[in-house]
Formats: sequence, structure tokens, C-alpha cells
Amino acid sequence: MTVLEVRNLQKSFGQIKAVQDISFSVNAGEVFTIIGPNGAGKTTTLEMIEGLVSPDNGEIHFGDLDWNKHAVSIKKKIGVQPQSSAMFDLLTPEENLNLFASFYDHARPAKEILEIVNLTEHRNNHVKKLSGGQRQRLAIGLALISDPEIIFLDEPTTGLDPQARRNIWDIILHLKELGKTTILTTHYMEEAEKLSDRVCIVDQGNVITLDSPSSLIEKLTDEREIRLSFLDGEEAAKDADNFLKDAESVSKTEREGATLKIWAARPEETLLDLFKFTKEKSYQVEQVSIRELSLEDVFIAFTGKEWRD
Amino acid sequence: MCLLHLPAKNGGIKINTFHQFKMMFLAQLKLTLREKQAWFWGIFFPVILMVIFMVIFSGSSDEEFKTEVAIVDPSPNPASELMLSQISGLPVFEIKSGKPVTRDKAEEWVKDQEVDAAIILPESTEASSVFLVINKENEQGAAAQAVSGILDKFVQQANLMAAGASPKYALQYESITSGTNELDYTDFLLTGMIALSIAQGGMFGMVDLVEMRRKGLIKRLRMTPANMGIFGLSDMVMRLLFSIVQIILLSLIGVLVFGAHLYINPFTLIIVFLIGALSFNALGYFFSSFSKTTEAYMGVANICSFLMMFLSGVFFPIETMPEWIQPISSILPLTYFAEGLRESMVYETSIATGALWAGIGVMVIWGAVTFLLGSLLYKRKAIAADR
Repeated sequence: MTVLEVRNLQKSFGQIKAVQDISFSVNAGEVFTIIGPNGAGKTTTLEMIEGLVSPDNGEIHFGDLDWNKHAVSIKKKIGVQPQSSAMFDLLTPEENLNLFASFYDHARPAKEILEIVNLTEHRNNHVKKLSGGQRQRLAIGLALISDPEIIFLDEPTTGLDPQARRNIWDIILHLKELGKTTILTTHYMEEAEKLSDRVCIVDQGNVITLDSPSSLIEKLTDEREIRLSFLDGEEAAKDADNFLKDAESVSKTEREGATLKIWAARPEETLLDLFKFTKEKSYQVEQVSIRELSLEDVFIAFTGKEWRD
Repeated sequence: MCLLHLPAKNGGIKINTFHQFKMMFLAQLKLTLREKQAWFWGIFFPVILMVIFMVIFSGSSDEEFKTEVAIVDPSPNPASELMLSQISGLPVFEIKSGKPVTRDKAEEWVKDQEVDAAIILPESTEASSVFLVINKENEQGAAAQAVSGILDKFVQQANLMAAGASPKYALQYESITSGTNELDYTDFLLTGMIALSIAQGGMFGMVDLVEMRRKGLIKRLRMTPANMGIFGLSDMVMRLLFSIVQIILLSLIGVLVFGAHLYINPFTLIIVFLIGALSFNALGYFFSSFSKTTEAYMGVANICSFLMMFLSGVFFPIETMPEWIQPISSILPLTYFAEGLRESMVYETSIATGALWAGIGVMVIWGAVTFLLGSLLYKRKAIAADR
């Protein structure tokens, strides 16, 4: 079942075209991730969907509801954690939750939310004194207070340390178990791969590709990068490089000192040949690795650009 | 835990508008009470400022003016004896050593500034002049001026008496006010300080809006079905309550510690207070509409507050200022707010007074114009500044 449909969104700020053409639809119960580098138009897209910014063009439908006619009904259906994690710093988490609860006809008790976002211990400290991760969890808690069907999380882990980030992943996975629909933006590829059912990669205001993380990776060429380093130094690496010149499945090699990088369509076969060769020459191999493809490679394949966090 | 599986209606809390107002107001109350800046600028600062001014300017007001003089009677004669007895009878003059001294001694005292002046009585009944010896350094001082003035009048009277005439015209002082009661400096300063504190509360207090906007809190609230009108109202009620606390606190200190006299017309006070507080909040709202940072806001608020503090007759009456400044004072809202508070708290003026309404009119114009401009700027920016 589709809970949100977005068609041909466009938005410009003066000369800058923040969003050029973005369309997708989100199914009930999935974690849908919009990923892209900084300035790709993720936040603007999200803010248009959340009703904060009106699009220059395009349509947004929450089932039968749209912003022009059903603003209040939509606001009751969605829970939003904005990037700025804005809240009242001089109130405690519990007071913040209770205040936000008063905005809705039906709200969850603050106590439940505090448990979900793991802040029960800190419920009586002023928000000002919370750490970055705790703040971010409270921001997610505020998005959950109305027990919404659709939850928007805008870069919930940006700027957090690895442990705090993992805590937030746990919350997102927990929400998924509870059957909530989550729309997430991030610029961490690893995060998108771990959490999402489907990933929408955007760059320069356009959707580049949209699918589950595994099928996106599968769609890429099956060429893999192999890395070998030799104990016997540069000479051995040079020798191996020469040997591979004739190999059919190798498309490209690169050598740097005693380390050799090989791009091969059938890595197992290439490695077997290589090891036969090194045994013959009695070269000693120090390290071997085959790099896994990730969403980063998907991004590079589609845009031709390096991925930067 | 499967808490969120439950249908929302079961565990939910049913709310209504009043509940929302109550929660918002409580939040505002806590935010204000926990904000140290609010305590300092809203309570501590006005109290200290008022105490300092009252101690400096009204501390000695109970004492009568008195000046010490030396009397020289070079050759006692009936005329000089008469004058001597009359001068001794004047309460403003305290004669050093109680009796006439030699001219040399008197001049030495004047030189050493041990006395403010030396009065040299006429040498004979025929001699027509009374000499006054004053230290050059003190020539323009208040005491020297006062002594010469008093003596001048005294000599005139003596002349009239000598000519056998009784004075036909005498100056009689009477201060006139439109209200029932007279104003002394303590009352003046107290009401001025109350006006200033409330005005500053409005002009500085709206910095919260800039801060909320900068942190994205306004945006965050707009993502919820929260009624922003109720949010604004709860904020306003909080600010008015804070101002009432200021009025009560400053009045208590003024009356109990410094002996100010208050004769309050409650109805006038309520009207003046509400209109004044609302228009200064509108002014702050206007500042917040074009200030991107709190620093920018504070800069604007500081300039306005300083200008008004000194040009609106808070510490000193406007009439004591240079004439060319007075037209500026007459368009500033704080002038009329301070006046309105004086009318309602000291003169017990009834609300039906015309002059009062002229002042209220000026405040309403300031409030309405700044509020409209502020709203306009907010609306225009809402589209451009969302990113």
C-alpha cells in the first residue's frame, strides 16, 4: 500500500535550482532512504513533503490527503524530526514531550516515548545539558509523541559518534518492527545500506536511481577490485603485473610500490592464475583482499563522481 | 515493547484548546523562571538602577538649603545693627562664630572656602552699600548665587522700609498640577522606572523570537497541528504577568524604602499599562522581524532603549532638556507611557482626561504601525528564508 506519493517536485531559491525533478512513492511499513551528497536537495525535498516549503511545481499526496485541503489532518498523521533538532533547551525532555503532546488530540504518554528513545534516565535534566546523541534521540521522541503513521527523520545521525549513531539505528529498526513507515535522509552510505528497504539516490536535485540496496549493487558491473601486496618488494609486484597483461578477464591494473590493484570480471579465476604464478616464482604474498561493492560504488557508477561524506 | 502497536485512541490523551493554552503557558512560565537573563534584566537591573538614582538625587531632598557666611561690621551703627539682627533671623544663613568678625578674618575664611560668602555691613546710616565677598572659584556655585540673591532681596526690602513704603507686590509660590496630588522626585523617578522596565521588557524580550527562529523552533512548531495563535497569546500573557511583577516590586521598594507617595486610579492604570506594554512588545516584535541574529536584535534594542531612556523624561523632566531636543521627546512612546503611569499612579487622574488619551493615542499608533510592519516582514521572509 502506498502511503506517500511524490510527483515531479521542483523548487528553486532565486537562481539556485534546489530540486529539479523528484518523484517517488513510499509503501506502508518500509524504511525509505533519500541519500545524496550535501546540497543534493534532500532537505528541501523533505521540507516540501512536510508542508514547510511549497513546491514550485509537482504534487504530494498522503493517500487521499494533500496540503492544500487537509493540512491539519496531514500534520496529525506525520511525525517530523527536523535537521536542526529544535526544542526548548530550558525544559526537560519530559516537559518537552508533554508540551508537544498537548498539540495533538491523541498523544502517547511521555513515559512510553522516553523508554523507546532510551531517555528515561535523563527525563528530568534540562535539554541544554544533554549530549548530541541524547538530544537527537529526544528529537526523534518528539516526532513519535503523536503516534504518527509516517515518521520523517532528516539526517538523524549527522555529527554523532559511532556509538550514538548505532543507538539511533536501533531506534529506527525498532520503529520498523512496530510497523511504522520511516522516511530517512542521510549522507552516510553505510547507514542507508543497513537500515533501508529502499534507497533513493539524489544528486543535484534529481533522482539518480531508486531500488533496494542489494539490487542497486547487483545492477552494477560484476567487476571487482583485487588488492595484493608482496613481501618480496617492488620487483615481485612488477613481475606479477607483467604476467597479468595477458590475462583475459583483467581490465586494468595499477601498481604502487609492492602493492598491486587489479580489476577483474572473474576475480576467482584471476586469483587462481596469480597464485600459480607466485608459487612458480616462489614470491611471498603478504595480503590479499577483494573489495565488496557498496552503495558508494552505485553512486560513483551513476554520477561519475567520488563520494564524500 | 510493542507500545506503538496499540491503536492511538486507546492510550491517547484527549485535548482541547484550553489544555493547549495551559501547557504552553506553563512552558513559557518555566522558560522565563529558568532564564537567568530574564531575572537580571527584568528584576535586578531596574531595581538597582532605581535605587542608585533615588539615593543620588533624592537622598538630600529633606534637608533645607543652608549656607555659612561671615558677617563684618566695621563700625557698628543703627543701620548695621538692624541689618545684623535681621540677617541673623534668616534661617538660610548660618553665621560663622555667631558674631561679626574683622574684614581680614572674613576674607581669609572666604579664601579658604570656610564660608560661602562674607557680608560687609554699611559703615554708617548714610552709607548705601552692602558688600558681598565671594571666592572667585565659587562665583558660579549654587551657594554663592543663592546668597547674592537672598541678600539682593533683603537689601531691596530694606530700601523700601527706609523709604517708608510697604511692598505692594509679593511673589507667592504655588505649584499647580492637573491632578489632586503633587509630585516629588521620588514619585517621578519611581513611575519613570516602572515605565522604563516595562518598555525594556517589551523591546528586549522579543529576542526570544529571534532565538526560536534561529534554532528552527518556530519551524518545528509549524510542523505540528499546534495553534500558533494560542502560542502567541500564552507568550503575551506571560510577559504581561512579568510586567505586573515589575510594577509591584518597584512600587513596594519606592514606597517602603524611599517614601514615594502613590495615589492610584486603578482603571486608568490598567488601560495605560496594557496599551503601553502591548505597544512596546510590538516594537520588539518589529525588531525581531528584521534581525537575523540575537546580536543584531540586541544592538537595535539597545540603541532604541538608550535613546528613550534619556529623552523620554524617565530620570529628569523633559522640560529640563535643551529646547531643540524636546520635539524628539514628544514623539517617543516612552514619554507618554511614563506620563500616563504618573497620571494614573501619582495624580489619580481619571480615564476621562483628554491629555491622557492623546498620549495613549501616540502609543497605539507606535504599537499598531510597528506590529503591522513586523507582520509584513515576517510574511515576506516566510517564503524566502525557509531554507
